Amino acid sequence: MSVRYLARKMITLAITLYVTVSFNFLLFHVLPGNPVQLLARSGHFDAAARTQLIKLFGLNHSLLVQYFTYLNDMAHGHLGFSYIYREPVTTVLGSAVGNTVLLVGTATVITVIVGVWFGVVAAARANSLTDASITVTSLSLWSMPDFFTGMILIFIFGVWSHVFPVSGIESPGLTTGTFGHVFDIGRHLILPALTLTLVNAAEFSLITRNTLVDVLVEDYIVTARAKGLRRHVIIWRHAVRNALLPVVTATALYVGMILGGAIQVETVFSWPGLGLLTYNAVEQRDYPVLEGSFLLFAIAVIATNFFADLLYQALDARVRET
Amino acid sequence: MEHSKRIIQSGAVSRRKFLGVGAASLSLAGLSSLVETSEPAGAASASSIRVGWTTPPDVLNPFTFTTTASNEILWLIYDTLMEYDINLNPTVGLAAHRSVSADGESYTFKLRPNARWHDGKPVTANDVKYTFEVTAKNKLGQAAWTLVDFASVEVVNSHEVIIHYKAPVALDPALLIPIVPEHIWGSMTASKILAYTNSHPIGSGPFTFKKWVTGQYLQVDRYNKWWGKLPAAKSIFWNQYENSDVMVQSLSSGQLDILTEVPPVLWNGLKRATNVNPVEMKSFSFHHIGFNVFKSPKSRGNPLLLDKTIRQALSYSLDRNQLVQLALAGRGIAGSVQLPPSFGVWQEKIPKDQQFNNDPTKAKALLDAAGYKVGANGVRADKSGKPLSFRLIAIQTTDEDVLAGQIFVKAAQQVGVKLTLQALDSTTLSNIVYNSNAPDWDIFIWGWDSASPDPDYLLSVDLTSQIGGNNDVFYSNPEYDKLYAEQAIRPALAQRLPVVHELQKLFYDDAAYCIMWYQSKLQAYRTDTWKGWVETRGGMVYNFTRSNYLTVTPK
Repeated sequence: MSVRYLARKMITLAITLYVTVSFNFLLFHVLPGNPVQLLARSGHFDAAARTQLIKLFGLNHSLLVQYFTYLNDMAHGHLGFSYIYREPVTTVLGSAVGNTVLLVGTATVITVIVGVWFGVVAAARANSLTDASITVTSLSLWSMPDFFTGMILIFIFGVWSHVFPVSGIESPGLTTGTFGHVFDIGRHLILPALTLTLVNAAEFSLITRNTLVDVLVEDYIVTARAKGLRRHVIIWRHAVRNALLPVVTATALYVGMILGGAIQVETVFSWPGLGLLTYNAVEQRDYPVLEGSFLLFAIAVIATNFFADLLYQALDARVRET
Repeated sequence: MEHSKRIIQSGAVSRRKFLGVGAASLSLAGLSSLVETSEPAGAASASSIRVGWTTPPDVLNPFTFTTTASNEILWLIYDTLMEYDINLNPTVGLAAHRSVSADGESYTFKLRPNARWHDGKPVTANDVKYTFEVTAKNKLGQAAWTLVDFASVEVVNSHEVIIHYKAPVALDPALLIPIVPEHIWGSMTASKILAYTNSHPIGSGPFTFKKWVTGQYLQVDRYNKWWGKLPAAKSIFWNQYENSDVMVQSLSSGQLDILTEVPPVLWNGLKRATNVNPVEMKSFSFHHIGFNVFKSPKSRGNPLLLDKTIRQALSYSLDRNQLVQLALAGRGIAGSVQLPPSFGVWQEKIPKDQQFNNDPTKAKALLDAAGYKVGANGVRADKSGKPLSFRLIAIQTTDEDVLAGQIFVKAAQQVGVKLTLQALDSTTLSNIVYNSNAPDWDIFIWGWDSASPDPDYLLSVDLTSQIGGNNDVFYSNPEYDKLYAEQAIRPALAQRLPVVHELQKLFYDDAAYCIMWYQSKLQAYRTDTWKGWVETRGGMVYNFTRSNYLTVTPK
């Protein structure tokens, strides 16, 4: 991989990011809806207080001034001030991002491992009963909406049998040490991560299965067999490696989208993540938080695709630039 | 290809099988250690009250908060000079004693000598002076509206103040204004106060702020040096849920002690749960249909609605009892005047046969008499041919409002009025309705919650002076304004009551609001953790009184 290639890629990245950021800003300020109106309705803000609030939020300046203020602040690491929480957006987003990354990261790792494994099993036994069962189960699970799967798991594990906590990220008021705290979070993580895994592993298993089935009839596989290599070596060391390329793409797309898209699971399990935060911010027209979280989504999608590109370079010699 | 399939089908792969078995046993071992009874939030002993809600607080700054959830917590961290007891009657709070001058314009408060801030400093008269002055001067906070006649605060000594008003006050602002420490807030300018997060509030109340995990839970701990009788609860947790179903399940399975609000259908289901007591109480709220009655030429509402006859006729077309049954699953009372029955004697009781309710025949007669003839398409029109066709908006996430809207459309159709219903998100609806420059809407469905158990607040909403403020229908009636001003300066019940009744009758007759129902306050609590929950109008918790938090004891 040449430096020039990397540099070109980084410049494209930067331009994409800038365009996204600007578009985000424009989008939220062109939409109808004034946060001051909403705040004023639930209280008793008279005209003077309303003017004060408008000035505080910088809404009295022209759109262009607001835009440049926004860019300038962002360059200094300030993402503005939340209208609702009266806290810096970075603080508001901070914990939410961590929680979502924890959930999504865990779920992604398990999803990919489980999905690929089942896909390999299905492909290895292509057109058998095993293959059919795996495929049908995958399709069924994939077609179930996240929230529905989540509610079923809550019922089984939280209501019918009180095995796992069904909401939140930690038990309030727990006074154990660090290990106890980590353990507590781990217990809360199980059901939401399981929900995401059940629904999305199917996608990976189907992609893996279909790609692997094609790879297993290639000539170099025949050669490997002729050389006397054992079955599991052929499958895992030769075939799967080539079948993984679409899986890499799928993983990159999945991670990029799911950072903001785990909202259904976050809502069902009251998991305080980015999706939920964004949804609430939309309802309350909390522009700064919205802009901040959309920026994060954009960075996530752009970054994961960038890394997927690089990974592809490493995995597939045919794609590598000389 | 055939031969490849045959080869692949042969034999089990031993390493794969081993891995499979290994993984299974590992996960089982892991599972068994994780499988304990899922710990209820903070209830190792019944020393913590665990509350469940779906409405989070916004900010813990007593000058800038806007949500009822924030109010609930702030009222335990801070004190007010006077407070509401369990029956919602004023009683002493931070002030040990209150006396009122003969002319009703001076209120003397003697503070408790042992009252302390959570940082240890004593509460003094200067704190009261500062709080009232900064609230009145900058119109800060939810209770600033009560200080419209505020004059000054006189410090008599370190523990005595006299608050002077320009006129007698019917609603004592001391009931609603939390006292803040001057040594923390005194140096802040108004804009600094507006921007201040107050992430670790210091009050003088029975509980101190402990922790707030945004989106999860908020914890307060008992303040053992509080001036009053110490509550039995060592901590209170408010657990946030995004989903009412899960929240109700958590109560049923013992992870919560009490819920602040339960949707009607779920509440009905709780009757079957064990060790759970679902409670229905009167609320201080109503839901209404509002007509755009803005007389200004810049209004973009349909001018036909300025005719009282049409508004009354539309009111007659609706069966409010049916609305309560269908939209609220029966959990409410049919609506009439602005003050719900929870206001007791303050509510004007309009005899059933005089109410604009459930009489489509009368509605048609009224419209016929006023000259609105039914057209060929079944829709009435005025003399110049303008059809009685109006836009109706409701909040899409408030299911009962949308349902009411659909029923209203059909009811209006019966009497020859066409309504077109559109469901919007709450912010958009709010912005459309409250556009005081050029409100572009005809009819909405919304609601009001009173900010106090005193009638003043709900009556103040539709003042002319509130256009651009709370007045959502742009109602303007000088007679109404005059009556309101009269009752606001009559503290004595006997003098104030008739004026309040007249106000309601006047407003009812003008029919700018068509009040559909007074929804019940639906809550539920576990009977096996805490005892002594007292039911009261407005709710056991999430109400104007903090009494239950202070008096419940472990079972």
